[in-house]
Amino acid sequence: MRQLSAFFLALLVFQISGGMAQDLALRGGTVLTITQGVIEHGTVLIQRGKITAIGKDIAVPAGIPVLEVHGRFVMPGIIDSHSHIGFSGDDVNEMTDPVTPQIWMKEALNPWDDSILKTLSGGVTTVKTMHGSANVIGGGNVTIKLKYGSPVEEMIVPGVRQQLKLALGENPKRVYGQKGILPSTRMGNAYILRKSFVEAREYMERWARYERNKAAGKKDLLPPKKDLLMETLKMVLEKKLAVDCHVYRADEVVWIIQFCKEFGIDIKQLSHCVDGYKVADIMSRAGVSFGGWVDWWGFKEEAYDGCPYGFKIMHDAGTNIVINSDSDDEGRYLYVNAAKVLKYNDIPEPDVLKMITINPAKSLEMEGRAGSLEVGKDGDIAVFEKHPLDSTTKCLITIIEGKVCFDYAKDSAAAKEASHD
Amino acid sequence: MIKGRWMLSVCVCLLALASTALSQQTILIRNGRIIPVVGPVIERGCLLIEKGKIAKIGEDIAAPPDAVVIEADGRSVYPGLIAPMTAIGLTGYPGAGDDLDEVGISVPQMDPFDALNPEDECIEVTRLEGVTAVLTIAGTQNVISGKSIVIYLDGDLAGDMLIKKNVAQIFNLGARQQGKYPVTLPGVMALIRDKLNQTKRYIETKKFMEKRSGFKPEDTRGEGTGEELSKPNPEYEALIPVVQGEVPALFMTNNEVMIGNAIALVKEFNLKGILYATADVLKYADQIREHKIPLIWAGTTNIPRRWEPFDHNFRAGSVLASKGALFSFDQLGWGPGNRNVRNLPVPAAHSVAHGLSEEEAIRAMTINPAKIFGVEGELGSLEVGKTANLALWSGSPVQMRSRVEKVIIKGRIIPPASIQTRLRDKFEKIVRERRSKPGSDAK
Repeated sequence: MRQLSAFFLALLVFQISGGMAQDLALRGGTVLTITQGVIEHGTVLIQRGKITAIGKDIAVPAGIPVLEVHGRFVMPGIIDSHSHIGFSGDDVNEMTDPVTPQIWMKEALNPWDDSILKTLSGGVTTVKTMHGSANVIGGGNVTIKLKYGSPVEEMIVPGVRQQLKLALGENPKRVYGQKGILPSTRMGNAYILRKSFVEAREYMERWARYERNKAAGKKDLLPPKKDLLMETLKMVLEKKLAVDCHVYRADEVVWIIQFCKEFGIDIKQLSHCVDGYKVADIMSRAGVSFGGWVDWWGFKEEAYDGCPYGFKIMHDAGTNIVINSDSDDEGRYLYVNAAKVLKYNDIPEPDVLKMITINPAKSLEMEGRAGSLEVGKDGDIAVFEKHPLDSTTKCLITIIEGKVCFDYAKDSAAAKEASHD
Repeated sequence: MIKGRWMLSVCVCLLALASTALSQQTILIRNGRIIPVVGPVIERGCLLIEKGKIAKIGEDIAAPPDAVVIEADGRSVYPGLIAPMTAIGLTGYPGAGDDLDEVGISVPQMDPFDALNPEDECIEVTRLEGVTAVLTIAGTQNVISGKSIVIYLDGDLAGDMLIKKNVAQIFNLGARQQGKYPVTLPGVMALIRDKLNQTKRYIETKKFMEKRSGFKPEDTRGEGTGEELSKPNPEYEALIPVVQGEVPALFMTNNEVMIGNAIALVKEFNLKGILYATADVLKYADQIREHKIPLIWAGTTNIPRRWEPFDHNFRAGSVLASKGALFSFDQLGWGPGNRNVRNLPVPAAHSVAHGLSEEEAIRAMTINPAKIFGVEGELGSLEVGKTANLALWSGSPVQMRSRVEKVIIKGRIIPPASIQTRLRDKFEKIVRERRSKPGSDAK
């Protein structure tokens, strides 16, 4: 029995993974480009995984399969820049030390984890799947396309700077305070972060001195010890790695922005940033994205001031607003969460759709290849039955680089029942 | 934009300051799309509120001279939503501690009314989104967790909020307390059976004592111990109405085995049952209907198991409705952390996306929970004589973008304020002022 199901699994994997980067045309839908307006009865042409044409009267070259999507809504694949999917074991939090930059989440990624399939059903094509928030300095996150069953290296979005996870506030305080070790206060969090990066600077200086001496032809040199923690922090200081900081309270938002400025660290996103609206102007001047939920609040002390009306304040201040799931559950319906923004705020509809597409793409520094439907970008697409901000809609098709990865017509309960009959 | 739409008389603003006086206010809602839930929609109609009750519904009602007139201008009037399984009223400021989940594996005597706090900030936050009444329960961490109450989300004192006491006794088949009996499901079943049997025995001994006046506990050789008769047992006292079928036993379940066990207990002890389920309801849909066990379906947004299709839970509402089950929605994730009871329409929206009719979805948030908790005489629909608990919506509640523009509870127009509107007003100003002063960067 087990052998049999393994066989079917293998078959399924073969079907889904066998080579991405395909040709496909979607014809007749309402195309929500996100950055270039709406095209009624439009066609999107994907060739070798890239969008090659978008418009009303696009001739589809012979031999390219065509999906007729009349009456449907075609939008870029949804991007979730704070997720924890794809880890089958209990691998999210290396909660044994407050400083663990030596670990990389890609090494826990399971391409066959079911959460990837379930997330595809919500029109999601890209996620940054992350280390948890137990440690002040956690592990390296990984930004992936949801290419279920593909080798990990093929899932990772190429050419995109990855982000190291930092965490402030209650979580590291609680995890280590309970063990009776530092940090047990926000002061402790700050100290650990500063101490680590001061050490990283010294580490870099030691290596630089060694390289200088070597270049000068000095003999009998002993190279400094290689330190995996410091190697990662060095990448951060050299801007080869950006950071994402889990932070709730406004005072800590201001603090981390200052800290990153002081050390020359590129901070791209403030995650779970429930207080962000209080310092929206400061975030927007720092060029850091707000990442968070629309209406979660009060589930712990530092989340008490969560306020869904804050989106308007941030929008007015020009903050790059990103709606995240932080949950295997809500990652499947970020479009429903996005619609809630309209309940609480007078923000134009197109700007709300940006919060789950081009804005997270910017936060992940991949707006050149995803987050909108534009010629030259990846053919990552979600097709919705009704407008994505209509809460009674559903995703019908999810496409990654021209390949259909989720298809309601095949993957729904009704379709599966029919196929058994 | 919203401001301009409302043509409220000036007196409303003045009266809004005196909250209690307003509950007796006569209010006429005019030109609204009225969705009574139990009857046909009135596309353009009026609704008159007098003395906290719905006095009249019709296409055209003349405004009584003392009435506050709300010009609905085509907006929709829905009955207030009713949320099951909340902790509203028991959730204090984080860190200050909440009042849920008393210690012990069986605490049926715990009554959330005894801890109900009208200042709980969840009350304002929740009612502003159209939820006007909730079931507040004593806890979920005990196998027998305590009583539950239906409350209005308005009232100066706990007593003002109360609609119904002792609505249902909460049994959680999934509750486990580390290292203490019972830590398995068979253990949980044995514990519940024992408590119910002991309660029956307790009733018998009470009757026995009443029959023999002048009876002394020490005379009970062979008929019971003196101990069990010498003083009232609060645990069994609380379970008496449950075993007598007067108060429903609400069984919390999170898999098919637990659902089967809950139905078995209902049959075995002839209980009035309510089922709360976070998974696997479809396997039991026929039995639930056959035994007339109402259902609180909390699993819509639960992630299906690996072998289940992605829409397994999204479509459950539609299948349940087609089978004629009486069910209400609840969101998964109940607990002291859930301050988002206002998201009750989220599972409704998913269910509509996957085949449930919008009408059924609305019923599952209004009249169905009212029936399940036995308050359908007061709540759950717009009918003359019922309590005036209702909300004006910009669109359907199953649309997340729809705004609740006016809430009325027991005939009182609820001020549009909560901790979150206050934070909005405060920081909107602070951020705007800081933005107007360039150079005042983060320091």
